[in-house]
Amino acid sequence: MSTATKPYDSTLQAALLLLPTAAVLVAFLYYPALETFRLSLYETLFLGQRQTWTGLGNFVSLLTSDVYQYSFLVTVAFAAVVVFGTLGVSLLIGYLIFSVDVRSSVYLVAAIWPYALPPAVAAILLNFILHPNLGIFTHYLELLTPFTLDWFNDGPQAFAILAVVAVWKQLGYNIIFIVAALSNIPEILTENARIDGVGRFRMLYKVYVPMIAPTMTFLVIMNTIYAFFSTFPLVDLMTSGGPSDATNFLIFKLYRDAFQFNSLGLASAQSVILFVVVSILMYLQLRFASGYGRYGG
Amino acid sequence: MATETDTTNIDARRLVHRLPDDVLLHGGIVFSILLMASPLLLAVIMSTQSTTEVYQVTNLGLGSKGLSNYSDALVNYDFSTYMLNSFVMSVIVVVGKVTLSLFAALALVYYRFPYERAVFMFILLTLLLPVPVRIVPLFQLMADLGWTNSLLALTGPYIASATAVFLFRQQFMGISASLVEVARLDGVGPLTFLFRVLIPMSRGMIAGVCVITFIYTWNQFLWPLVVVTDKSSQVVQVGIRYLQGSAQAGLTQWGLIMAGAVLALLPPLVVLVVLHRPLLRTLTIQQK
Repeated sequence: MSTATKPYDSTLQAALLLLPTAAVLVAFLYYPALETFRLSLYETLFLGQRQTWTGLGNFVSLLTSDVYQYSFLVTVAFAAVVVFGTLGVSLLIGYLIFSVDVRSSVYLVAAIWPYALPPAVAAILLNFILHPNLGIFTHYLELLTPFTLDWFNDGPQAFAILAVVAVWKQLGYNIIFIVAALSNIPEILTENARIDGVGRFRMLYKVYVPMIAPTMTFLVIMNTIYAFFSTFPLVDLMTSGGPSDATNFLIFKLYRDAFQFNSLGLASAQSVILFVVVSILMYLQLRFASGYGRYGG
Repeated sequence: MATETDTTNIDARRLVHRLPDDVLLHGGIVFSILLMASPLLLAVIMSTQSTTEVYQVTNLGLGSKGLSNYSDALVNYDFSTYMLNSFVMSVIVVVGKVTLSLFAALALVYYRFPYERAVFMFILLTLLLPVPVRIVPLFQLMADLGWTNSLLALTGPYIASATAVFLFRQQFMGISASLVEVARLDGVGPLTFLFRVLIPMSRGMIAGVCVITFIYTWNQFLWPLVVVTDKSSQVVQVGIRYLQGSAQAGLTQWGLIMAGAVLALLPPLVVLVVLHRPLLRTLTIQQK
């Protein structure tokens, strides 16, 4: 919209309209964020009552700590598994729903409902269904395959179980965008391929996936942010970071350092590192997938 | 006659040819949907079972408890309090965020003022500041203000939002310029313009933002866990954590825990099913 069509020009009124939003953003977003940066340069004792300047000391001790390095590694691996697991399954289900016309809106609602699923509920439901001794899935899995579920003690299994929960919860969000993107492809572009008698699934990855590449990029970024920032309830309710740090993701380590061990400076340094992660992801989002993405609030 | 049977034959042949494909397609969809829903369906069944029944792993019938696990969770394990707290928190954030964001978008789209672009960037940049990036000082701020364990701490940090401002701005920019011109020539004031023209024309978008915000707020876990320690002020997502802890004495009462989980899921699920149309429209707009 050009400025010529803007009907109002009172700067005072504009400021008053923007004031509530700006005040909240300054008080609860910008100020604490800046304070995070400041605190990250201090060593704190006694719940932050005593602060000693340490410069980049917190960052040095984080980057040279085996525990933090390992936490970083498992988080990145977890994000990769969750991102591509979610995309693969959502693409398949989204494509099936897109391929039928009748009742597709009933199907759509039945497929996207995990969008409303609270992560804590997702964690607690699968904690039970996949419970090593009581889980009904565990029972049939062990009956039908030689596999034994022991994720209370087995690190890689705990990692895999959390990935299953994270993917399950994120399917709804992904299917919404994939079905919308597929429906937006002009029919004329896919007609030729259809006449050539290309099989349904060949069509999916030869014709459709390249056409919805921007949506796929968008979802890669959103799912990565989700894997880094929104999987805290899963770890907290299912594994507490274990066994032997196999699921000690960055967000969980940050929480424990801040609120169980009261290392506020060290925790703030971890927040700064997470800020760098989210900044890079948002930059990539702006750069590659036209437009801007959404992270929560 | 002959031609008619021919076409019928062809139709029939085409039908036979199409049938397995369609059956496979629908079968595939139904199978995936059931697989996705199975943990929830099982949880609903288990929530009616007694602890003894739950420990018979393959017992998949409705249990002897009926709905008493639900009343037990609501009455004896404080889920009625947690649910109410979650509901109040979510409604305050929805109303507050929509109101504040409508005002901000009104200013951004319909006012000429200095540094417009910078103000917009100032709002958008907060996308880089999710709760974990500022959680330590935010908690200290709440403690300094004496807001811990209060609704102010639960709602304040969520009440302004780059996403909602961005969406309403997009929506307003799509409203025809001639309409704005008419409003200007008639000398309509900004608030009248907002309430008489913009809001009625943005109903779908407002509904969508309400749904997104309600689900997002209801599902919050980390921040309430940190800032609320008094159980009577806690929200239902963290209530699940308490329930998991207290039901673990002796044989874990999984039926009770499942009932609590179903309760904590119900409100956002109902909102999604009822309002999925505006939700879908709004979500897919924000990607553009």
